Amino acid sequence: MGFLRDNWRVILLVVVLLGSTFALFAPPGLTSGSSPPAGGDNATRDGPTNLQFGLELSGGTRIRAPLVGVTAEEVEFGNESLASVEDNVTAELDGVPVTDVTAQRAGPDQPTNAVEVTAENVSTQQLANALDAAGYQHGDVREGVTETTRRQTVAVLESKINEAGLSGGTVQQVTTSTGEHFILIEVPGQDRSDVLDLVDSRGSVRIDIYYQTENGTYQTREAVLEQGDFRRIGAAEQGEGQFPPNVPVVVGEDKAEEFRQDVVETGVAQPGGTTCRYEDSPNNTDPCLLTKVDGEVVYAAGMSPSLASSMLSGEWTQDPQFILATQNFSEAQTLAINLRAGALPAQLDIGEGGEGTSSFISPSQGEDFKRDSLITGLIAVLAVSAVVFVRYGEAKVALPMIVTALSEVVILLGFAAAIGYPIDLSVIAGFIAVIGTGVDDLIIIADEVMQEGEIRSRKIFQSRFKKAFWVIGAAAATTIIAMSPLAVLSLGDLQGFAIFTILGVIAGVLLTRPAYGDILRALLTDDR
Amino acid sequence: MSGTSNLPFDLFEVDYTRYSNRQLAAVPLAVLAIALLVIAATFALTGAPVDPGVEFTGGTELRLAVDAPNDAAARDQIGQAFSTTPESIRSVAAADNTYIVTFESQDGGGAPTTTQLENQAEQAGFEIRSIDAVGPSFGADTQILALGGVGLAFLGMSILVFAMFRTFVPSIAVVISAFSDIVIPVALMNLLGIELSLGTVAALLMLIGYSVDSDILLNNHVLRRSGDFYTSVASAMRTGVTMTLTSLAAMVVMTITATLFGIQLLASIGIVLVFGLTADLMNTYMLNLSLLRWWKFEGVAR
Repeated sequence: MGFLRDNWRVILLVVVLLGSTFALFAPPGLTSGSSPPAGGDNATRDGPTNLQFGLELSGGTRIRAPLVGVTAEEVEFGNESLASVEDNVTAELDGVPVTDVTAQRAGPDQPTNAVEVTAENVSTQQLANALDAAGYQHGDVREGVTETTRRQTVAVLESKINEAGLSGGTVQQVTTSTGEHFILIEVPGQDRSDVLDLVDSRGSVRIDIYYQTENGTYQTREAVLEQGDFRRIGAAEQGEGQFPPNVPVVVGEDKAEEFRQDVVETGVAQPGGTTCRYEDSPNNTDPCLLTKVDGEVVYAAGMSPSLASSMLSGEWTQDPQFILATQNFSEAQTLAINLRAGALPAQLDIGEGGEGTSSFISPSQGEDFKRDSLITGLIAVLAVSAVVFVRYGEAKVALPMIVTALSEVVILLGFAAAIGYPIDLSVIAGFIAVIGTGVDDLIIIADEVMQEGEIRSRKIFQSRFKKAFWVIGAAAATTIIAMSPLAVLSLGDLQGFAIFTILGVIAGVLLTRPAYGDILRALLTDDR
Repeated sequence: MSGTSNLPFDLFEVDYTRYSNRQLAAVPLAVLAIALLVIAATFALTGAPVDPGVEFTGGTELRLAVDAPNDAAARDQIGQAFSTTPESIRSVAAADNTYIVTFESQDGGGAPTTTQLENQAEQAGFEIRSIDAVGPSFGADTQILALGGVGLAFLGMSILVFAMFRTFVPSIAVVISAFSDIVIPVALMNLLGIELSLGTVAALLMLIGYSVDSDILLNNHVLRRSGDFYTSVASAMRTGVTMTLTSLAAMVVMTITATLFGIQLLASIGIVLVFGLTADLMNTYMLNLSLLRWWKFEGVAR
């Protein structure tokens, strides 16, 4: 009993260390109680441990950017229909399509009635003026979009990344302490330009018809088919023979007849089919179907004789299949992704002069960082050990000191593995900082209990240990206070550094440093 | 009773009785004044207290593996590959043929975008090891946030110190020492051309926590222990100097290895801590100590 009572701190430390080791090394199947790795699939283990590595150490692309848009709050539009509000506001804004103006009633996510414009280059002042001109009373007009739009954007981005087959990619909304909202996209192992291409454009797809009216002028009938009008979107297909690369689609039943009428009325479907020369001679061409992405024509096509006749006879609506052709296969793939994921309600601000940040680490650079930072950490530990050995000259004081300080890192690693916190360079910097503060505190304890005179009784030991602990507690408190702004502010990648330094200090004060006191007493006192 | 302190590692002996408080405080105060002057001059010249790096101004940083026979040829290739002149090209010592190339974002457009730089690097046949791109307005926001964070941390630490000691002079002594521990590294950064990065901000925050440890230890020994002033100081110094030297040793080797490997985050944390901890040795055992001694022998009596 006496042994247990005297050494409970050491025993507690050993138990926690065992737990951490288990969390670190146990095969994933055994740790079913803890949360599965953040990636979602249990099979992925980076090396021999359960540690998750961040993009800096595993390679990949990260994009962090706010959404483009301006929002007016407290807009008084009473019971007027949202569509009519949108039309009225759009009429006062130059060059903004109505699809980029959204009116929203107050709801759970939205405290007041709001009008939001997600087109680029619309200032808060312009929206305020437009609302005034349209006769709507309004409150503040701010940069940024509504919560609803942010959520929809996150959902669309997620589905884009899934559709593109980028496994392990994540999209989330982050809010800074100053109330700014960012979208954070992380895709492991992928090139920056690939990810950027995928998320950079709004990706709104529609089909227009370009045709000649009876008086001879050319006109465009807009949006005869839109993203939501397809029932099935096939996988992108390589072109074969005279067929260009394309995406096969099936038009929804409710929309098929309407579309059929459109193509017949405009003459796209006429006996013998049509040949489109939109690109070469737009003023002398048969009617064309234009596939537009974000308002730009990506492909212009006529209609084959067989499809045209089935359109004319009405047979087509029984089996409303259709292909959307593209210039090349990669365009077809992008088109398929855009069709399936839908259009982004608002764009990420990552262009020139934008507010976004992006970073890319190649997988081999990640491996190098992993190895090099491990070496750096080890060398730092060696330096600390050397100084401590030179200072005390006694292995029985110095050795437990090093072991205790290292055990703090083991506890932190175990914790990171258990909650699946991704390790990156800033977390490793935190580990080094923890070793630094840890050893400092152990030096205080060692010096205090070993001051002049033998430590003959446990009582003397206890009183000296208590004195030392006051300083340690005070030092720990200042470190925690100093680091807490960094843990709360979202200052780039430094959150991990602050969180792990603070956790390390707490683990040190509660667990390891008291245990070191017990170890020293066992080694130094005579009365047991 | 003597004023001599025997330092660990057989370092020099200090006999504090030989120096007056005025003499002791003069050196660190002079250094602090010079440091403040350097920062003020930088502020007057550039409009910022310290030169902000890419993370705070916006810009693009590429880490490239370049296949070239020698360093000069590699730099030449890099110089030719891009449509704009890089702000800096640094080689990574521990990795052959690897270079960190930085581009500042420029106002008024015309500068190539990150994607264009990426394409140019690929066309030149470089292997892109990493890319960091920061938008200019994002960078400016981050800078305000970072400086605010340092200010907030310092304020929090000061309040805590006053709450712990509840005596004005010893508390303000700690706060002034800590202030100087931060100001001196910032001035040195300006003199040596080290840019403010996320790593250096982290290091400055860490200094606030780290550097007050030895001050707290010293105050604790003098205020809360029986026994004469010089004995308390001697024992606090034995422990405190060991602590600081241990941290200093760790940070010196971390700075060197991280620089060789080109791990900028760790290198910039390391270098700022080396400056700060060195400054702390001076501030704690000259500035803080002289204030404490004045308070102990003269201030209380009044």
